[in-house]
Amino acid sequence: MELNDANLQSLTEFLRKTLDPDPTVRRPAEKFLESVEGNLNYPLLLLTMLEKSQDTVIRVCAAVTFKNYIKRNWRIVEDEPNKVSDQDRTAIKANIVNLMLSSPEQIQKQLSDAISIIGREDFPQKWPDLLTEMVTRFRSGDFHIINGVLRTAHSLFKRYRHEFKSNELWSEIKLVLDTFALPLTELFKATIELCQTHAADVNALKVLFSSLTLISKLFYSLNFQDLPEFFEDNMETWMTNFHGLLTLDNKLLQTNDEEEAGLLELLKSQICDNAALYAQKYDEEFQPYLPRFVTAIWNLLVSTGQEVKYDLLVSNAIQFLASVCERPHYKHLFEDQNTLTSICEKVIVPNMEFRSADEEAFEDNSEEYIRRDLEGSDIDTRRRAACDLVRGLCKFFEGPVTAIFSGYVSSMLGEYAKNPGENWKHKDAAIYLVTSLASKAQTQKHGITQANELVNLNEFFVNHILSDLKSPNVNEFPVLKADAIKYVMIFRSQLPKEQLLQAVPLLISHLQAESTVEHTYSAHALERLFTMRGPNNTTLITPAEMAPFTEQLLNNLFKALALPGSAENEYIMKAIMRSFSLLQESIVPYIPTLIGQLTHKLLLVSKNPSKPHFNHYLFESLCLSVRITCKANPTTVSSFEEALFPVITEILQNDVQEFLPYVFQVMSLLLEIHSNSIPSSYMALFPHLLQPVLWERTGNIPPLVRLLQAYLEKGGASIAGSAADKIPGLLGVFQKLIASKANDHQGFYLLNSIIEHMPPESIIQYRKQIFILLFQRLQSSKTTKFIKSFLVFINLYCVKYGAIALQEIFDSIQPKMFGMVLEKIIIPEVQKICAVGITKVLTECPSMMDTEYTKLWTPLLQALIGLFELPEDDSIPDDEHFVDIEDAPGYQTAFSQLAFAGKKEHDPIGDSVGNPKILLAQSLYKLSTACPGRVPSMLSTSLNAEALQFLQGYLQAATVQLV
Amino acid sequence: SIITANQRISKFKNKGKDPTKLREKRISVCVELRKAHKNESFLKRRNISLSSLQDEEAHSPSYISNEMVALLSIEDIVRDVNSDSRESQTRGCQAARKLLSQERNLPLKEIIDAGLLSRFVSFLSMDDEATLQFEAAWALTNIASGTSWHTQQVVEHGAVPAFIALLASPMLHISEQAVWALGNIAGDGAAYRDILIECNVVPALLAFLMLSSQVGYLRNLTWTLSNLCRNKNPFPPLSAVQQLLPSLIQLLHLNDKDILSDACWAISYLSEGDNERIDVVVKTGIVPRLVELMSHEELSVMTPALRSIGNIVSGSDLQTQTAIDAGVLKVLPQLMRHPKASTQKEAAWALSNIAAGPSRQIQQLITCGLLPALVEQLRNGDFKTQREAVWAVTNFTSGGAVEQVVNLVQSGALEAIIDLLQVKDAKVILVILEAINNIFLAAEKLGETEKLTLLVEELGGLDRIEMLQNHDNDLVYQAAHALIEKYFGDGEVVGVKVDSTDDSFVFMTSEPQGTFEF
Repeated sequence: MELNDANLQSLTEFLRKTLDPDPTVRRPAEKFLESVEGNLNYPLLLLTMLEKSQDTVIRVCAAVTFKNYIKRNWRIVEDEPNKVSDQDRTAIKANIVNLMLSSPEQIQKQLSDAISIIGREDFPQKWPDLLTEMVTRFRSGDFHIINGVLRTAHSLFKRYRHEFKSNELWSEIKLVLDTFALPLTELFKATIELCQTHAADVNALKVLFSSLTLISKLFYSLNFQDLPEFFEDNMETWMTNFHGLLTLDNKLLQTNDEEEAGLLELLKSQICDNAALYAQKYDEEFQPYLPRFVTAIWNLLVSTGQEVKYDLLVSNAIQFLASVCERPHYKHLFEDQNTLTSICEKVIVPNMEFRSADEEAFEDNSEEYIRRDLEGSDIDTRRRAACDLVRGLCKFFEGPVTAIFSGYVSSMLGEYAKNPGENWKHKDAAIYLVTSLASKAQTQKHGITQANELVNLNEFFVNHILSDLKSPNVNEFPVLKADAIKYVMIFRSQLPKEQLLQAVPLLISHLQAESTVEHTYSAHALERLFTMRGPNNTTLITPAEMAPFTEQLLNNLFKALALPGSAENEYIMKAIMRSFSLLQESIVPYIPTLIGQLTHKLLLVSKNPSKPHFNHYLFESLCLSVRITCKANPTTVSSFEEALFPVITEILQNDVQEFLPYVFQVMSLLLEIHSNSIPSSYMALFPHLLQPVLWERTGNIPPLVRLLQAYLEKGGASIAGSAADKIPGLLGVFQKLIASKANDHQGFYLLNSIIEHMPPESIIQYRKQIFILLFQRLQSSKTTKFIKSFLVFINLYCVKYGAIALQEIFDSIQPKMFGMVLEKIIIPEVQKICAVGITKVLTECPSMMDTEYTKLWTPLLQALIGLFELPEDDSIPDDEHFVDIEDAPGYQTAFSQLAFAGKKEHDPIGDSVGNPKILLAQSLYKLSTACPGRVPSMLSTSLNAEALQFLQGYLQAATVQLV
Repeated sequence: SIITANQRISKFKNKGKDPTKLREKRISVCVELRKAHKNESFLKRRNISLSSLQDEEAHSPSYISNEMVALLSIEDIVRDVNSDSRESQTRGCQAARKLLSQERNLPLKEIIDAGLLSRFVSFLSMDDEATLQFEAAWALTNIASGTSWHTQQVVEHGAVPAFIALLASPMLHISEQAVWALGNIAGDGAAYRDILIECNVVPALLAFLMLSSQVGYLRNLTWTLSNLCRNKNPFPPLSAVQQLLPSLIQLLHLNDKDILSDACWAISYLSEGDNERIDVVVKTGIVPRLVELMSHEELSVMTPALRSIGNIVSGSDLQTQTAIDAGVLKVLPQLMRHPKASTQKEAAWALSNIAAGPSRQIQQLITCGLLPALVEQLRNGDFKTQREAVWAVTNFTSGGAVEQVVNLVQSGALEAIIDLLQVKDAKVILVILEAINNIFLAAEKLGETEKLTLLVEELGGLDRIEMLQNHDNDLVYQAAHALIEKYFGDGEVVGVKVDSTDDSFVFMTSEPQGTFEF
């Protein structure tokens, strides 16, 4: 590609077409550009265009295209061709800085980005003069150019803030410091002087202050990894000027915009970060300056207004104080009573106030408000920063701070009492203050778990919270109502049970509040209260205690879902799930109505699933309805099938991917309730379940396996009879699963069900292939999980088909295979699993008692007891009521396991063995009667105390006594 | 550049858990951004006044103090030094030495450019002209104390053999001056150090160690010996080290703080590096004395003693055990609470290496009450100390037994490291995340994962780790993400393949290739 006018002309036309809204014009142009970008001179043509084109649109477009080209092609990847010719590379590097600096801002930004991408690859080795070229521009006196340089430097250096220390990195920083630090310092001083000279020229000031902000950012990057010698030597210059800038104000720079931070705020905010960096990492060197900064930042806080534009500055400034006040050697800066009082009064209290911006969010953007207030995504907010400062101060001054705030709380509550309509925000601040003062540790699961003992939470509840909860008009002062509800929720572990019980009906009535935040908080508070644990792993609030409110609770929860803005409110749906689970059979009378509402909801959300949490709880609630009702009366399952199948069919037909794992679980639950026959409606679906596309989604695998197991259990014979042509497909699923280390156990679940439930003649022709597959997998990837599953399988096979069949099939595949498997696979593993066998060895083998084997008897017994007492992995928790979505394994991956669709454990050996611990006890008893006196003496002399204790437990459970 | 980069290789024993794996040493970067350490001993020194001079003055009547020499111009000096008259030569030498002993504006280059070095070197061998010999030696000493280039000029003019010969001078102050000059040459770097060693400087120096009881002389000698032990790439030859060590050990039993200081620095240089080097030091039996010196009241002694022990505990478990047996764990708590931040940091570094040992050493660390000191440092230490303390926690949690890890958590270490997740240093954050992960592994063994999850959340850790998922550093992001996924979220999957049609999978096996072998 020549660098000539014709090519420029043609590229210009193509660029113009890439801006065309019509894709039939745009796409080919984009394709064309991509096809020629490998040509020599292509990037230079772009640079020429962005410099010389008459059309601003084309210039900007060329700049963007150039930057993207650099981004895609500049990096030289090993073993891949160099995508930019060396000639072009050299030409670009020779011109780009100049070009960037002489371009208008829009283009400058693109080129600056391009420089930093190139710099990331080439600087410093392959672009040694970049820095010098940039630094010389500092002397140009043109701040448009200077800011261009600073911006580029910032994008080059900012990686120093997050990269690990390494020789390479530090050599680069050293080089940068050698070239850059002194000119930067000179520029810093000169810029500050110019600010004084131009103190009355607003346009000049704006440019100068953006330079100062960039310089401060560069300072941060260059000082991040370690304190450079240069900056240590020049600390006085930098810190004095930073301090000066912090205290500086200029009316001309104040903006009228309430939201957007102005130049002054951005600069001061960065200076706070710089001071915080030094205070944290270079304390020893920074100590002389620190007190000055504390004072300046504190004065800044006192004099800064409530507008949103100051938020970042204020939160950075407070965080600085919070980090300093925790350090023991700065304790003295804060310990004076007046200082503390004034920090509390002028810094903390004002920043805890409910602002009009908060009020707007409360009313119009409740989701965001809840996320910030409830879920802690309030990292950068003033309230959060103020809370952190309270916590920091409490480290050394808990008593005085609590005392000071108690005064404020009383006076704010006093103000409120005088005129609630006018002063309700005072009460809000008071509650917030109490909350932040009292909470020392908090979790989602339990709320506040450690409280400041100096705050009487119960008294505050009785005197100030209860009144708002009891107020008959739920729609009056919604913010205070929400505060009160939140108070109950977060201090639930601290408040006595009677208070919580008193709160329950009040919370139920607040579910009707119009305010989204308020009824959401009510639902959430109820849900949390219902998960609290009482004695003996029961719920703190019992179904009996809830009986008087059951109808109201269910009514209000479902009504709340109809309130505007809450149609898919996950908090409400979660509260519904938890209420069902808590109330159990007392919901049965309401289910006929409720199931209609739930399926209707499901139909609606399946059109466009957008709230995963809501949907999850919706399915959980459906499962609970089924389980609770069918537990009382299994025949009702058909009425659920009637209600659910139309929706399920629609979901399957529309392939609503998010919902499939749920639907399979619901179907499994329903099918498992049937007694030993499979309805034809299910059989019609069977072939569809074997479709590979379903099995490609990992989230479908566990629920689909479970569903197929249910099919096999209820209809193994039907499948063999009417769907025998599907057996290879079924085994294909097994093969698919066994090939994956992650899913092989699922494959075994399926195989075991096939062996257990399918008539032997229906699978006889596939048996050899099944074993070959297993051996192939064993050969290529022998994992512990696989071996365990394999052992269970061959034992099951042996039980179903007999030992001879097992040995024959092994040896038919390869001579002596049976022996090898026994020796290499079974024997090493078996002692881990076959407790029953060991019991037999211990108790039914005379040589163990009377020969040289006797010395092994106790160790073997001890090992067996050890095996019994190993912690087991319960896949279905006993206390499933308490389960939380965060605990639900598989949430966020595609498979979302429903806790309330829980499956009963199936034991293929069945009742033939029963409890192996009991078996051991009984067998030992038998042995002891056969040789009286021997067993107890062997036990008491050589079994360790812990094992003995466990053993006594087994004996007691079996109600036998050794003789 | 007067001083060096970081003097030590900071290094770490790796997890005590995996004996088959070679111990990894954490090699610190050699490039330094900071000012050089202020408490380090000097590589080169200029002579402003000589210790043995007071006594010697009587014996050398021609000695003229700095103040008494008039400042001659360079031209005058050149003329005098190049003249044939002993008197002029002496006057020229004295004037040059005087100029070279000023506080600033040293005319080093002018003197070299004037071609005076070969004259000075030739004066060194004039045994019958003691004053001239002495003044020339002094001038050369100060030239050699300049930059590498200056030292190089002195060496290239043949000063090394001349100075070694001069060690044998019957005049103590002349011999001392030679010791000093050799120290400056040795301090220049590994290359000149090894040239000196090849010229047999070690036996020559040690010969006088036996004879001299003069403290000032011994101080200079010790300093020169320490420079012979110093520098790496390469380290000094083992044979020389073996020669030097007995004398250093002897010096370490004296009571002069300057001698102790330089002797300790020498040991600290020798103990830096791989375990074989550490072994050479440990085998001398000096470890108990070093531990004793860690409590020395002088910072200048305590610092290199601590450094030496720090190096030793970065060695094998056995080497570390000698320090533990010598009582290092009883001294460390007070050093961790030392008012000087750099001492705290070194102590924490030593502790972190002991914590990298096997669980029985970790137990000794617990028994000696190091955990409260460690947690104090995590909470209140300056950043450099906190960084080492964080390493200590991570090493402890990767090698410690479950109960020991529980003990650590109960001492408040978990809370403290969680607070440190906000530090502005990506590496430290990563190391903390590793420690948290290790603590979770211990909790898993106890079946208390859930309890720990809650504790981490209560301590504000969950918020912080969640935030770290936005960190710009990829490894930090990944580590944070992995923790959240593993303990606050859920697991993952991989797969292999099977043929399929649209409707179903194709159940099919290939005939086995070869035989199965498990």
